[in-house]
Amino acid sequence: MNINVNASLSLGKLELIEAAKERGKSIRRVRKFQSILLSVLRGLLLGGLCFIILYPVIQQLLLGLRAPIDSNDPSVIWIPKNWSLQNFTLAAIVLDYWDALLNTFKLSGIAMVLQVASTALAGYAFSRLKFRGSEILFIFVILTIVIPPQALSLAQFLYFRELGLIGSENSIYLMSGLGQGIRSGIFIYIFRSFFKGLPKELEEAAQVDGASVFRIFWNVMLPNARGAIITVGLFAFVWQWNDTFYASIFNISSDAFPILTMRLINAAENVYAALFYTGGLSLIGQDVWSNPMFLATISNVAALLMMLPLLIMYLFVQKQFVESIERTGIVG
Amino acid sequence: MQDTAYKQVNPNGKKKFEMTYKNQKLFWAVVFLMPWFVGLLLLFIVPFFQSLNYSFYKLTPQVGEIVFEFVGFGNYLFALNEHVNTATSTSFSVEMINTMTDVAFNLPVLLIFSLFMAVLLNMKFKGRAIVRAIFFVPVILNSVAVASALGGGSIMTEILAQQGIGQIFDLQFFLIQSGLPEFMVSSVVGLIDRIYDILSLSGVPILLFLASIQSIPNHLYEAAKIEGATGYETFWLITLPNVSPHILTVIVYALVDTFLTSPVSAIIQRELNTQNWGVSSAMAWIYVLFILGVLLIIFAIAKIFKIGGSHYEH
Repeated sequence: MNINVNASLSLGKLELIEAAKERGKSIRRVRKFQSILLSVLRGLLLGGLCFIILYPVIQQLLLGLRAPIDSNDPSVIWIPKNWSLQNFTLAAIVLDYWDALLNTFKLSGIAMVLQVASTALAGYAFSRLKFRGSEILFIFVILTIVIPPQALSLAQFLYFRELGLIGSENSIYLMSGLGQGIRSGIFIYIFRSFFKGLPKELEEAAQVDGASVFRIFWNVMLPNARGAIITVGLFAFVWQWNDTFYASIFNISSDAFPILTMRLINAAENVYAALFYTGGLSLIGQDVWSNPMFLATISNVAALLMMLPLLIMYLFVQKQFVESIERTGIVG
Repeated sequence: MQDTAYKQVNPNGKKKFEMTYKNQKLFWAVVFLMPWFVGLLLLFIVPFFQSLNYSFYKLTPQVGEIVFEFVGFGNYLFALNEHVNTATSTSFSVEMINTMTDVAFNLPVLLIFSLFMAVLLNMKFKGRAIVRAIFFVPVILNSVAVASALGGGSIMTEILAQQGIGQIFDLQFFLIQSGLPEFMVSSVVGLIDRIYDILSLSGVPILLFLASIQSIPNHLYEAAKIEGATGYETFWLITLPNVSPHILTVIVYALVDTFLTSPVSAIIQRELNTQNWGVSSAMAWIYVLFILGVLLIIFAIAKIFKIGGSHYEH
């Protein structure tokens, strides 16, 4: 009797173990199936979206790489019949490319550094160094975000004219350094929410160790906000690079100091005149430049040339962006 | 008592200059905010009130100076009732209402879409770096100069239209050429255009979300994995609460961005360029009031649902 019960019990146990193993297998199978399904769906979605984004760029590139003679050959749709870089050389002449590139680079770089410095400090003060009235001051940050630049530009122009800053890139530096550059309010907001998101324990631990407020900011908080710094730096650079509003109001672009966006807008408005004045016309025959399709191609290639440095640079910064995941620096 | 104790520790009796931590904080807050505050006063508040002032005047530029003529609320009434945009035959008030409804519908879609994409892009898969780089392309393309060059400029468009070519670098052109029926072409093109619009608006929000997801400590996910949480659960219980302080940032950004790229902004710009400075200031002020109203509603909602507070403050 007893033995029987024991035997049936142990049998049940074995069955249970077997059943559990079976279940484990099936769960693992389902999990594997799910992960494959997920990656297929993800691949389809991301692939499709990337196609939509890249389609116009690839099209422009291939159109640009055609020989100028073929610019409206209907038999050529994707792959150029005669490969040529002539469109690119012509567009570079129109844009005054190398000078303009250098100037735009300098302008955007300095403005970026000034913007990151001024907005990081302000963002930190708003999130971690609260004092009476800081909430009220922060309302002004939101106002600077919300008020369109068009509302302020006339008064700013008159003001800068008195200071003699019109026609000089110093006007942009002044705006950026004082935290009123292109969308500085958004940057302050980003820094504030990032510093706010860092755990309080970090600051408290450093405070117990006797670090001063500035040291906590410089040695503890700032390294942890690397992701925010890279993000803000990227945006500041790109927006300054693409800016036409302030560049045209403060009249920064000139023959002595050409910048890419203004050259591009001028070129796009009248490619023929731009080619004429820069001497690009003499490089090609009349049968080519009388073709509107060719002129449109040149303006497209010029746009491509303006974007290209940004894209290349982004590929480098992107790595840093990824790295900042792996080293969040906070040990629980 | 304490003073004597202090003297015992420091037998020299020299009192070191020391600030309390709280005063130190105040001192550095002032230092950190100084550049921004100077900029705010000189480059924001002064022009701000000047522009409010301008909006009640009719400004006419004369040689070397600007003549002011007081018109009261005339500019505002003109902007709301009489203004007609000759180029697109729409008015300021109609465009304003259109933009508001656009914002109401697009903002939630944009928010959910960009958070979803950020989560997707944060997963580990082959070619992630390339895909992320590609998602940033619309942000770069989203520039006035590039847009005008790609559109070929006004003169180019005219020449092309005269020759009956129209827009050349069009998906439509190539699809029709490849022999697809026309109704299919137009629906495909329409869909792709709309997706492209959303993508170009969501580039920055995706990056903001991505950066904030990356700032979530990894050990939270490891712990959740050990406890056997599914991907779905980790999203709702770890990713979302940690991202929530940044949701408001993204909303504010997306709101301002939609307004700045809307036809309303273009109308204000045109009035500014045609030296209708008073009218343009009045329009800018109407625009500001609208956007502030929307923001107030959003902040009220955020306060009620407690979105946007730091996860670590509780």
